[in-house]
Amino acid sequence: MVQIENKVVPPDKDVNNPHNNIKIILRFKFRKVGRLQYISHLDLVRTMNKIVVRSGLPLYYTEGFNPKPKMVFAAPLSIGTESYAEYMDLRLKDRVDPALAMKLLNRNMTDEMQAVECYYPDSKFTDMKWLSYSIKIHTVGASAELASECERTLTAERLEILKSTKSGEKLVDIRPLVRSASVVFDSGALNISCILSADQSSFLNPEYIVSALKEKCGILNDPDLTAEHYTVTRLSAFTEDMSPFR
Amino acid sequence: MQNKNVSSVLKSVQKPGRYIGGEYNSVIKDKASVKCRFAFCFPDTYEIGMSNLGVRILYDVINKDKDVWCERVYAPWTDMKEKMEEYSIPLTAVESGDPLTDFDMVAFSLQYELCYTTALAMLKLAGIPLYSKDRGEECPIIVGGGPCVYNAEPVADFFDLINVGEGEEVLLEICHLYNEMRDNGSYTREGFLREASHIEGVYIPSLYEVSYNEDGTLREYQPRYPDVPKTVKKRIVRDMDKAPYPEKLVMPYIETVHDRIVLEVYRGCIRGCRFCQAGMVYRPVREKSPETLCKQAKCLFDNTGYDEISLISLSISDYSELPKLTDDLLEWTDDAHVSLSLPSLRIDSFSEELMRKVSSVRTGGITFAPEAGTQRLRDVINKNVTEEDLMRSVGIAFRGGKSNVKLYFMNGLPTETLEDIEGIAELAKRVVGAYFKIPKPERPHGIGVTISVSCFVPKPFTPFQWERQNSFEELIEKQKHLKNSITDKHVRYTYHDARVSRIEAILARGDRRLAPAIALAVEEGAIFDAWDEYFDYDRWINVFERCGVDPDFYTTRGFGIDEVLPWDIIDVGVTKSFLKREREKAYAEKTTPSCAEHCSGCGANKLGGKTRWCK
Repeated sequence: MVQIENKVVPPDKDVNNPHNNIKIILRFKFRKVGRLQYISHLDLVRTMNKIVVRSGLPLYYTEGFNPKPKMVFAAPLSIGTESYAEYMDLRLKDRVDPALAMKLLNRNMTDEMQAVECYYPDSKFTDMKWLSYSIKIHTVGASAELASECERTLTAERLEILKSTKSGEKLVDIRPLVRSASVVFDSGALNISCILSADQSSFLNPEYIVSALKEKCGILNDPDLTAEHYTVTRLSAFTEDMSPFR
Repeated sequence: MQNKNVSSVLKSVQKPGRYIGGEYNSVIKDKASVKCRFAFCFPDTYEIGMSNLGVRILYDVINKDKDVWCERVYAPWTDMKEKMEEYSIPLTAVESGDPLTDFDMVAFSLQYELCYTTALAMLKLAGIPLYSKDRGEECPIIVGGGPCVYNAEPVADFFDLINVGEGEEVLLEICHLYNEMRDNGSYTREGFLREASHIEGVYIPSLYEVSYNEDGTLREYQPRYPDVPKTVKKRIVRDMDKAPYPEKLVMPYIETVHDRIVLEVYRGCIRGCRFCQAGMVYRPVREKSPETLCKQAKCLFDNTGYDEISLISLSISDYSELPKLTDDLLEWTDDAHVSLSLPSLRIDSFSEELMRKVSSVRTGGITFAPEAGTQRLRDVINKNVTEEDLMRSVGIAFRGGKSNVKLYFMNGLPTETLEDIEGIAELAKRVVGAYFKIPKPERPHGIGVTISVSCFVPKPFTPFQWERQNSFEELIEKQKHLKNSITDKHVRYTYHDARVSRIEAILARGDRRLAPAIALAVEEGAIFDAWDEYFDYDRWINVFERCGVDPDFYTTRGFGIDEVLPWDIIDVGVTKSFLKREREKAYAEKTTPSCAEHCSGCGANKLGGKTRWCK
């Protein structure tokens, strides 16, 4: 997870601040889908920079030689994952009606990236603990039996994968980071629903779920790249007690 | 089973963002309701193509016409190219994802000679025959344009139609003619090309018979029909204030080379450096007014959100209203957190005031181009800057906090001696000296002077067009000599690969007899020759040998002053007699004043237009 604003002070609660250095932070929940799954987090940040400038919102700029609009993102997506639950905190100089802000932002983006909610938040990005995903795998030999085998693999007591670290490859049990996982066979594909850790210290990339199944259940092994494919979609974010993150 | 297209392999290539399209401000039209589909191809990567100003302008111009839909096409990087070949995926346009064979026109912007193989590799990936003569009625019309087509002869056999000069008006006229002939049923490939040859600025290579003398030199270009013009006159935009300029830019998601607003300030150059092709072929000088520029800058900022505006032209400090322009822009840019950059500063016009105005904080470096190491050689090439100018400019730069100075030079210029080469090392040493003369508190910490030396390529339509190029061995010898002449440890030396310059010279100065060799190189896998890692000198020499091309004929031989030149078919405005005069003055070590000081009668004024300095 990306660096978080340490002190998110809801402006209403701090109106008496004599120095008037209240941080006004507006949160956008947005989708990033379709072709935009191939845009890296770094490129998203650069793109969003220009979007917020175009929007005409009263932006707060960082200090220094190279001022940039101040914005922070939660849980960066890896390339190849679509998402309906991206979050950005944007710092402003003045308060703006969230509905208006959302309109201003959305008219400067294409349909594949649009804000769906906008509000002044009470929570911090560190409160986000779980993320749910849908993974659809079109693989040779997909069947109801294969789906159950995959589900058993994901929900077994241990789920060990090889992770490459600085000191070489290491066997890691990621099972504690999988809160739940189910696999069904539908429309010729394996449909996985799972809830994975979003905690800053133990974030689990859903690609590991795919690679674990590749290794353990022999899926997606056809050398013809166009014969098989899979999609990963992030659906929603949750807090520790599984209430919706907001 | 899904359709095999670019998106089926995106997860297995580097930087998939290059291939996805869907950018903000990209133009989507209903393909059923347009009459002409126009694919604008850039024979290099997405990152480079997206940065090209010409493409940005023409994409906008063509798409303003409701009957034409212009889409962009870039060369796939080699990893994607392999996948496309493996899975028979054809080359497609970014906007619609449709293969190039669905288009009416497929145009290539030819920016440098080494991209020829990339352009042809793109045709091959699209399944379009390389040679114009092999294309049937159902094939798109293949169009070429850009700075290379002032001598398009080496690739002339691959193009059906070539746009000579500025494309803003010509390309639409071509599309309109096409639509008209399609509408009234008179369209045939041959009939269309014949008719198009009457449009000013259009060159149809297949309508000329080329003959050669026994010694291998050119005899003549003969139009095949009486209505085909004997020479093709370069087309220009007459009034830059009225010329269309994009109000929006397609916003790339991934980082491109020039990811910023580019404001074209004027066309042409007043200087007349004798090695410089751009300085001759873009004449006459036509400026935009500061009012037009400010309006365009503000509009582009509102529609893009970029934080940098780059003012570009061949030599920005020669713009007659630069102080007014920068002052007017600075009225709002600072508050909007937008910085200005001026990428083409001349040594003799660099000032403290100018440096303050432009984005000085972002980089610790500045670049100047003295081009030659001695005053004698600088006079030969008509660079018109002195050592004093350079010392003054680097002094200002050092005091202004710049610690890295880069100096551009050329090896192999006509009349160059070993003394001129030693002069480069001397000059760099004196620049280092200028730094240490500044009291410590007033100069930045640490200093680096880089001399970057390229190899002279005699280019068409310059006073040096007849010159011989130094041989590979001569250039290597000169590079070594310079290396040995550098004694100062603060001076870093980089130089261009002489082999690249030799191939560049052949492709720049060649005639139609090169075509089979270029086609063969592409057949054998050549692409991205402009990229060091894919440039293959041995392959080039090999295909030249197999096709009977003598590289020396186009390089070390030099061209006779009365010889018919491959590019004589083009009338670029500047006359041959002016170029000859300039060549004589070069050998006499005499300079020519700029257009702003005195008109030298280059001939470009006959092209007309609202010019700044022409009599």
